[in-house]
Amino acid sequence: MNKFTRFDIHEIIPKKESVLRNMGVPKGKNVSNKADGLISMAMDIFSDESRPVGIHSEILKNEFESTFEGQGKNAKDTPLQHVIPHSNRLALFALTMGKDVCEKIGVLFNDNNFALGSILDAVASLSADKAVSTYERNFSNELLKRQNNQSDNTVLSYSPGYCGWHISGQKKLFQYLHPEKIGISLNDNYLMNPLKSVTGLLVSGKDKIHIFKANYPFCRSCKDASCQGRMKRIINLRKGNERKSD
Amino acid sequence: MKGRVIEMDLLKQISDFLQQGDDGKVFDLTKQAIEENIAPKDILDLGLIAGMNVIGEQFRKHEIFLPDVLLAARAMYSGMDQLKPLLIKEGIPSAGKVVIGTVKGDLHDIGKNLVGIMLRGAGFEVIDLGKGVFAEQFVETAVKEQAKVIGMSALLTTTTPLMKNVTDLLRENGLNNQIKTIIGGAPVSKEFAQEIGADAYAYDAAKAVECVKQLIDLA
Repeated sequence: MNKFTRFDIHEIIPKKESVLRNMGVPKGKNVSNKADGLISMAMDIFSDESRPVGIHSEILKNEFESTFEGQGKNAKDTPLQHVIPHSNRLALFALTMGKDVCEKIGVLFNDNNFALGSILDAVASLSADKAVSTYERNFSNELLKRQNNQSDNTVLSYSPGYCGWHISGQKKLFQYLHPEKIGISLNDNYLMNPLKSVTGLLVSGKDKIHIFKANYPFCRSCKDASCQGRMKRIINLRKGNERKSD
Repeated sequence: MKGRVIEMDLLKQISDFLQQGDDGKVFDLTKQAIEENIAPKDILDLGLIAGMNVIGEQFRKHEIFLPDVLLAARAMYSGMDQLKPLLIKEGIPSAGKVVIGTVKGDLHDIGKNLVGIMLRGAGFEVIDLGKGVFAEQFVETAVKEQAKVIGMSALLTTTTPLMKNVTDLLRENGLNNQIKTIIGGAPVSKEFAQEIGADAYAYDAAKAVECVKQLIDLA
């Protein structure tokens, strides 16, 4: 059954520091006061113009197999193939920041307001990422409630276009989830409109199932490598918990 | 002599305010420079482009970052908009013409826009075909406008193969020596550029300007 989520903008809007990092400003460095002021302005525009919504639906492992297979273009071996068998709950999700904020970015660029447009673009991208984290947390809490808080599962998301799951996987995901209901469409090249949208699979399972060696052939050309950060966080959390129990 | 000093001072002010991203001041001072009959090419080269060159160098050295570069670019445009008709009237050529666009099927254009902004800042004439551009459009426009470089952007692995259509089309028509190609976007690489026969790959807008300068010399 599909469930809809309306994200709280204050929960997903990024911190100023994150926006600066996203725009290539290293830690400890800053921008001019004028540019700094534009970050606040971009955040205000984002608050006014974005309509962050999501849709998710649980899916059984065998149902997901066919969705994951997609158009048959996945890498031969992928982390998800090893993660899924050990998972206990799965849910497909799609979320968007809405079309208005995406159109606003275009308008700003057309008006030669490049800096503000570019900052708003960064704010919207980071907010979409944070909305994914919110989804992971919400799904985890939802499962925890069902299990009377007797669970130590970790929920992480995996998306088409990353880690060997070919982007054409979007097609079957759309057929199952129907993100059109929240205003997201897919073109023939599997590109979503509005652009600031994310789809993927929420995977719940023991934390160790999410840890893998990033030595798949596609890892060599990957410029994202966010999997490393996620795994590091899990490992650190685990170490912290072990220390506490000592 | 005194007039030239005043002139140089005004042009330096344009450059300085441009570096501060003050588009209002750059607009006013460019207007003043035009009214004082300073040669449009001097306003462009010694005021606007001189300022953008400093910005470009600071950006390259990581002394300033993208938001401030873009503020400077906006200031550059505020002066350039006034100068453009005069430069055309006087038949002053740009540093070269570049056709840019996001390939067909792809709607991402922030990266492509940034490249366009930086190229204009470096004195190039940029013909931006926008998003979802067919291979034929790239080539036909480059031929019609006598552009020396085609810049293509894509953010999806499903759309990057379309870049090859452009390089193939140029080769099939014997145009690959006079029209050079440069590609950019998250899923592409130097290796991919070589694979499809593109002349250059740029990982960011600053690098794109550097590459286009080299390609213009080759074309």
